[in-house]
Amino acid sequence: MLQETLYSMLATLGFAIIFNIRGKNILYASLGGALAWFSYLLFQKLNFSISAANFMASIIIGIYSEVMARINKAPVTVYVVCSLIPLVPGGGMYYTMFESITGSLDKALRLGVETISSAGALAIGVLLISSISRLLSQANQKRKSY
Amino acid sequence: MNNKDINAIMHIAVEAGRIILENGGETYRVEDTINRICTAFGVRRAESFVTPTGIMMSVTAIDGSTFSTVKRIQIRTVNLEKICKVNELSRNIHKYANSMDEIIKILEEIDNTPRYSNTKTIFFSALAAGFFTLLMGGAIQDFFVALINGFFIKSTNIYLKNLRINEFFINIVGGALAMLLSLILNQLGLVVKFDGLVIGSIMLLVPGLAITNAIRDTIAGDLVSGLARAIEAFLVAIGIAIGSGMILGFWISTFGGVH
Repeated sequence: MLQETLYSMLATLGFAIIFNIRGKNILYASLGGALAWFSYLLFQKLNFSISAANFMASIIIGIYSEVMARINKAPVTVYVVCSLIPLVPGGGMYYTMFESITGSLDKALRLGVETISSAGALAIGVLLISSISRLLSQANQKRKSY
Repeated sequence: MNNKDINAIMHIAVEAGRIILENGGETYRVEDTINRICTAFGVRRAESFVTPTGIMMSVTAIDGSTFSTVKRIQIRTVNLEKICKVNELSRNIHKYANSMDEIIKILEEIDNTPRYSNTKTIFFSALAAGFFTLLMGGAIQDFFVALINGFFIKSTNIYLKNLRINEFFINIVGGALAMLLSLILNQLGLVVKFDGLVIGSIMLLVPGLAITNAIRDTIAGDLVSGLARAIEAFLVAIGIAIGSGMILGFWISTFGGVH
C-alpha cells in the first residue's frame, strides 16, 4: 500500500511538471496525489465500493487542496488538478473500450456505467468541498464587512 | 478619468483575463480578475462575460458612455504557473493602482514566463506513464516499457499541438499510438501485464484539468462554461477510446487476439 502511494506521488510529480507548476508547489501537488491514492486504497480496504472510495478520496483531496491554497495563497486549481489525476478512471475507460471491441457488450455496458459513476463520484466529492469552502469564505467576508 | 484612460484600463483587464483563460484558469477567476483590476483603477462599473472560447466585457464611464471589447481565445494550454502569477498580481492590485505602465510590464513578463523545456516535459511524462503503469499493477519490467511509450506519446502530442490541430484529433492519435506501441512491444515479449501498460500510457492523455474546471465552473454558476468544459472532457475521453479501440480492433482481426 505504501509502495503504491509512492508510485502515485511520483506519477503526480510528472503531471505537476507537465502542467508547468514551479517551486515548492510541485512538492505539495505530488503529496496531494499520494494522499489521493492512499485514501482511495484505505477506503477500499474498509469495504467501500469503488465509487464510494473515489468519493471519499476526492473529498479528502478537496479539503487538502483548499487548505494548501489558503496557506500558500495560490489558486486551488493548482493542487486539485494534480491530486485528482491518479483517481481519474483511466482503467475503467480502457476496460470498457476493450470489452466493446471484443464484442462482450453486456460487460462493456456494466463497466461503462461503473466508470461513469466513478467519475461522477469524483466530481461530486470535489463539488461538495468547494461549495462548502465558498460558503465559509462568504460568511467570513460578511463578518468583516459588518 | 478621461476616455483614453478607460480604454487603457479595459485593455489591461482583458489581457490579464486572457492569460488566465488561455492557461487553464476557471471562468469565475477571469471575471473576478477583470473586475478587480477595473475597480482598483476607479472604474465605476465593469461587467464581463467569459466562456472558454472568448471574453466579452464592457465598462461604463462616469459620464455614462459605455466601452466594450471582445477577446477571442484561440489557444488553450495548461500552465498553472502563469495563473498563480496573475492571481498574485490581482491580489495585490491596489499596490500598483497608480501606474498602468508597471502593470502592463508585469503582465508582459508573466505572459513570457518560459515553460519547462520540451526535453524536461517529455522526460517527466515518460516517468508519469511509467509510475502509472506500476500503479495499475504492472511489473518492474513494464515500467521501462512504459517509459518508451510515454516518450513517444508526449513527443507526438507536443508536435501536433504546435501544428494547432484540434484537441479531438490529437487525442485520437495519442490513444492509437499508445495502443499500437503497447501491442508491438507486447508482441516482442517485453510486457508482463498488458492492461497495466496501456492504462498507464493513456493516463497521459486523460482530461484531468477539463474535468476539474467543469466542476468548478458549474459550482460558481457559470453554467455555459461548465457545460462546455464537461463536453470537452467527454470528447477527449471518447477520442482516446476511439483511437485505441480502432487499433485494437484492427490488431485482433488481423492477428487474432492479444497474447
